[in-house]
Amino acid sequence: MDCYTANWNPLGDSAFYRKYELYSMDWDLKEELRDCLVAAAPYGGPIALLRNPWRKEKAASVRPVLEIYSASGMPLASLLWKSGPVVSLGWSAEEELLCVQEDGVVLVYGLHGDFRRHFSMGNEVLQNRVLDARIFHTEFGSGVAILTGAHRFTLSANVGDLKLRRMPEVPGLQSAPSCWTTLCQDRVAHILLAVGPDLYLLDHAACSSVTPPGLAPGVSSFLQMAVSFTYRHLALFTDTGYIWMGTASLKEKLCEFNCNIRAPPKQMVWCSRPRSKERAVVVAWERRLMVVGDAPESIQFVLDEDSYLVPELDGVRIFSRSTHEFLHEVPVASEEIFKIASMAPGALLLEAQKEYEKESQKADEYLREIQELGQLTQAVQQCIEAAGHEHRPDMQKSLLRAASFGKCFLDRFPPDSFVRMCQDLRVLNAVRDYHIGIPLTYSHRYKQLTIQVLLDRLVLRRLYPLAIQICEYLRLPEVQGVSRILAHWACYKVQQKDVSDEDVARAINQKLGDTPGVSYSDIAARAYGCGRTELAIKLLEYEPRSGEQVPLLLKMKRSKLALSKAIESGDTDLVFTVLLHLKNELNRGDFFMTLRNQPMALSLYRQFCKYQELETLKDLYNQDDNHQELGSFHIRASYAAEERIEGRVAALQTAADAFYKAKNEFAAKATEDQMRLLRLQRRLEDELGGRFLDLSLHDTVTTLILGGHNKRAEQLARDFRIPDKRLWWLKLTALADLEDWEELEKFSKSKKSPIGYLPFVEICMKQHNKYEAKKYTSRVGPEQKVKALLLVGDVAQAADVAIEHRNEAELSLVLSHCTGATDGATADKIQRARAQAQKK
Amino acid sequence: MSPLDRIANVSILKQHEVDKLYKVESKPAVSSSEQLCFLVRPRIKNMRYIANLVNADKLAGRTRKYKVIFSPQKFYACEMVLEEEGIYGDVSCDEWAFSLLPLDVDLLSMELPEFFRDYFLEGDQRWINTVAQALHLLSTLYGPFPNCYGIGRCAKMSYELWRKLEDEEDGETKGRRPEIGHIFLLDRDMDFVTALCSQVVYEGLVDDTFRIKCGSVDFGPEVTSSDKSLKVLLNAEDKVFNEIRNEHFSNVFGFLSQKARNLQAQYDRRRGMDIKQMKNFVSQELKGLKQEHRLLSLHIGACESIMKKKTKQDFQELIKTEHALLEGFNIRESTSYIEEHIDRQVSPIESLRLMCLLSITENGLIPKDYRSLKTQYLQSYGPEHLLTFSNLRRAGLLTEQAPGDTLTAVESKVSKLVTDKAAGKITDAFSSLAKRSNFRAISKKLNLIPRVDGEYDLKVPRDMAYVFSGAYVPLSCRIIEQVLERRSWQGLDEVVRLLNCSELAFTDMTKEDKASSESLRLILVVFLGGCTFSEISALRFLGREKGYRFIFLTTAVTNSARLMEAMSEVKA
Repeated sequence: MDCYTANWNPLGDSAFYRKYELYSMDWDLKEELRDCLVAAAPYGGPIALLRNPWRKEKAASVRPVLEIYSASGMPLASLLWKSGPVVSLGWSAEEELLCVQEDGVVLVYGLHGDFRRHFSMGNEVLQNRVLDARIFHTEFGSGVAILTGAHRFTLSANVGDLKLRRMPEVPGLQSAPSCWTTLCQDRVAHILLAVGPDLYLLDHAACSSVTPPGLAPGVSSFLQMAVSFTYRHLALFTDTGYIWMGTASLKEKLCEFNCNIRAPPKQMVWCSRPRSKERAVVVAWERRLMVVGDAPESIQFVLDEDSYLVPELDGVRIFSRSTHEFLHEVPVASEEIFKIASMAPGALLLEAQKEYEKESQKADEYLREIQELGQLTQAVQQCIEAAGHEHRPDMQKSLLRAASFGKCFLDRFPPDSFVRMCQDLRVLNAVRDYHIGIPLTYSHRYKQLTIQVLLDRLVLRRLYPLAIQICEYLRLPEVQGVSRILAHWACYKVQQKDVSDEDVARAINQKLGDTPGVSYSDIAARAYGCGRTELAIKLLEYEPRSGEQVPLLLKMKRSKLALSKAIESGDTDLVFTVLLHLKNELNRGDFFMTLRNQPMALSLYRQFCKYQELETLKDLYNQDDNHQELGSFHIRASYAAEERIEGRVAALQTAADAFYKAKNEFAAKATEDQMRLLRLQRRLEDELGGRFLDLSLHDTVTTLILGGHNKRAEQLARDFRIPDKRLWWLKLTALADLEDWEELEKFSKSKKSPIGYLPFVEICMKQHNKYEAKKYTSRVGPEQKVKALLLVGDVAQAADVAIEHRNEAELSLVLSHCTGATDGATADKIQRARAQAQKK
Repeated sequence: MSPLDRIANVSILKQHEVDKLYKVESKPAVSSSEQLCFLVRPRIKNMRYIANLVNADKLAGRTRKYKVIFSPQKFYACEMVLEEEGIYGDVSCDEWAFSLLPLDVDLLSMELPEFFRDYFLEGDQRWINTVAQALHLLSTLYGPFPNCYGIGRCAKMSYELWRKLEDEEDGETKGRRPEIGHIFLLDRDMDFVTALCSQVVYEGLVDDTFRIKCGSVDFGPEVTSSDKSLKVLLNAEDKVFNEIRNEHFSNVFGFLSQKARNLQAQYDRRRGMDIKQMKNFVSQELKGLKQEHRLLSLHIGACESIMKKKTKQDFQELIKTEHALLEGFNIRESTSYIEEHIDRQVSPIESLRLMCLLSITENGLIPKDYRSLKTQYLQSYGPEHLLTFSNLRRAGLLTEQAPGDTLTAVESKVSKLVTDKAAGKITDAFSSLAKRSNFRAISKKLNLIPRVDGEYDLKVPRDMAYVFSGAYVPLSCRIIEQVLERRSWQGLDEVVRLLNCSELAFTDMTKEDKASSESLRLILVVFLGGCTFSEISALRFLGREKGYRFIFLTTAVTNSARLMEAMSEVKA
């Protein structure tokens, strides 16, 4: 404890800086770092080295080698560089390695050295070659800025959505700028460059000369410039060994420092954190490291080895062949607690807890002291916060223990900050582990990055089990957590070309099962992207939502399979989508054949055709030799589509032919009859006037009778073999309608009625002609006689007949018609007859 | 009345600055409005209508805004048509996921009368998704259904799709206490017979006679005994109607006259009242009495009108024939009755209905009758009905008996194939074969024709047969009763086989015993393809007997005429 602050170095009065080791590097570097092109990703990201970048010999042994390591020096990838000479390396925000070649082509590699894609920075760059390049990060993503041999700048603010911008020319620029950097202000990327004693700012439209306020005189050249992580601050290093520090807008000076070293520094980066007390710049030379800020003295470190600086949001990482260190301003909470002789509540609490463990009464004294000041809550908070800033688990623990101890004396301290810190630290320690090698600090990087992105990064490193454990530990909802990671795992799995399709599919299904939120179709899409169509189809089998299977199947040109999947889904809309796809993809014959095997799709398509493509519908039936439907089709056409009588008859003829082919003689005959009828109706219209077309046969005959054309009617009835019964009904109704009673009577006597004579009675009564009705009652057959007599209202006679018939049902029927006084006698008569019948 | 009227009537729409309402039909709407909004079912025909209108505007150089709202959902095919007609860019589309309209306290309707023709005739499965969505909606509202039963291909598909939806959106309903204990899904083609019978329960009879649309009926001048028609909502809120809706028609008159007497007595009470009592009476009771009086006179008017119509058509003869068909005796006589019916051109729809009833109860017509009845029908009602017959054949409603029994072996094989899920692939030619109705055998098995000693007392019914004057227990309701009793299809194998549904009857019960006994008495019955008021009455009766409460969900309320019209081809 006593020496805990030993590595603390004060800068000025207010701030301390400390440097501690993150890892001792595991890599076995043969070269010095200075012989390599180096790029390290921020947020504890991976390190890329390109060895022998400048050798141009063809021999394989001396070809450049691209190596990728984790921050702890674990090798992730190594590959021989076979493309053109590389000018610059850099990592994108998604942890993709961008390699800028001399010809302006940028090659993009994954974390594991897998080639992703490439893009060019344009013709101008290709012609003039790349002199220098920078990868920079903005809120939109990662950008590339290029200085060409013609001393012009080209940049793209987002490599994900490549839009090249050529910056305006710097007037009178003859040689390359001594140093330059990208700035990002108001969401626009600018370039700041130094030529001799002058500074120029390039934006979209113009090049303007700028002067930093309060710059010391006598500067003849700028050797180095540095922009802070957040683009808020700028530092300039001049040939006089003078450092100017100010805002990036060049409107305000923060401080200056004269280090008296005229040698150009190797690197200069900002070392600050949001809300830091002191803004400092770290300058590195070959063997010397200097932290300078608004203080007369600087902090100096000796570098034993060739080192490389990586600016972070809250400090600077420094790695060399053997170690990886972190340099940062000591956070407030830690400073309060650990500063020598600090009386801050946190410090006292830590002390109290230690005494308590020693079972010393001093614990009580310290605690009392804090409580008297009413600062216990603050003390606990301080300890919790400070724990987050510690790198070593033992220190984290002792601080958390202190916090937990203090918490006991508080009534209402919300536990979540403590719990969350414990959880977060656990996760952080896990990813900081040597084997994982993501040295994130708590306060800013971890919180800034968010747990989701951290999980993504673990997934990117193929650390699936750890990612899943973290998800489970933090109890993230499955859809955001475990499922997502499993899906990523599966996507990686399908890329293993040496494993057979069956094994991959089975392995994936075993792991994923029915985990909610996992989309098998996404995984299948990835498999398809890797050229493994068969595997993709196998994976799709596991997709429970048929709807999701279809689009990919269509993309893979498995339209028929897509069709059956769509049908299985029960979603007609989906089926239809596939159908139209198929229609364009296949020739007509094949398309029809496919439909033929899918009745659901067929009926759907028919529905569509019925309204939209009538001809196609016909072709469909033709193709299937579905003569029955074809016949129906033409029948419909005969009254829906055709208007001229010839056309209608022709349509009917086609229909009749089709029906014959369908062996539906009935329909064929009926159709032929209809043709005859149509022709005849036409003739009738011509000869007699009036409207006959489209009447049914029955109505045609009726119309003729009503028009007084009895002969014609009879002729028609004979021609069309109208059955007697129908004819009688028809005539009966028509004559009654005409009230032609004479003709009706004549008709009734023409021969014996096939429908009996009750209908005659009924129809007369319907026209309220009792007189005529009575004429027929006598001719009604015995079984209907009672009914007929009742109809004409002759209750007495009806009763007689019923009694004669000795029919119980008839008797009751008559009885029910007996009303009041008039039929009293009849009713009695019936009752007597009934009684008599019962006696017998 | 249309479903829209039930939700937002004209005055509400006017308040929202709707200028005028038009029906989407063959003739174009002439409107000077700057914006047109089409609220349509997603049908190609409607798209063409819209396209014609928009294109006509284009020709005339008019520009207005068009909005198409599809209910219950948009179909890709419709968008295709809009695109093919070149107006896709001119209209904006929207969806209104409206699927359930509560018509009464126990009746939900999807108001999709076209469901029947689309699915059972054209084999178009577009609405299955809609059904599944509706069920999903219900389960999000009322918790999961612990016991599910169903029969029929459509029922099975809907059920499976619904389950899929539930699985995809898991979590929501899980762990909730179920409020409805059972759900029963039933395809209309399981039981065409019941739907084809003449209805004699009051509500059914009103539907058959006046057509209830969307829970409301238009009573014409002959009912209202004035010169105006009157739109009347028929539901449980109408107290008079609520008491007679499920009654056999023969009881209704007696009931109404009793009611009238009671009402008169209540009116008469005011004679002996003093001023204070009178004041009370006027302020509290009079309004109710007047309301009741109004309703009473309406229903009496309706009854009279029904009586008049029914006696004119010799209703008794008709019912007698129907009963003979159901029981399967005097087939020859019934056939001649039907023939006469056709010859006399009584009504094309009625004739068709009787023919179908004959066909289904007899497992198809014998070839001679099949031909002659069809010929007669064509002669009476016009040749275009050749297509109607082809439709009926395809739907299995009117078929020809296979000559001899030699074919049955093949048929049973085919029907087995058809009921197989994989063999949804069987072409149309076979489908009618597969639909042998086996009505007679089923009727025997399920005891659908009650043995009656003496007169069936319609005033105090013993069983569900009362809805058909005691002559026949509705098959659909009997199936539901039997399954509920057994809580599964166990022991009904033979019936299921006779219904050609060996693979299509399902039970799904969740083990967890969360359902309260109260919820277990609640049963949701889903009729796919429509149900009739008689079936609803029968099940309401069953509910009262067994202590269940039924809730009905139907694609639409139907009756025999609607079924037949759906199958008919009429000249446009």
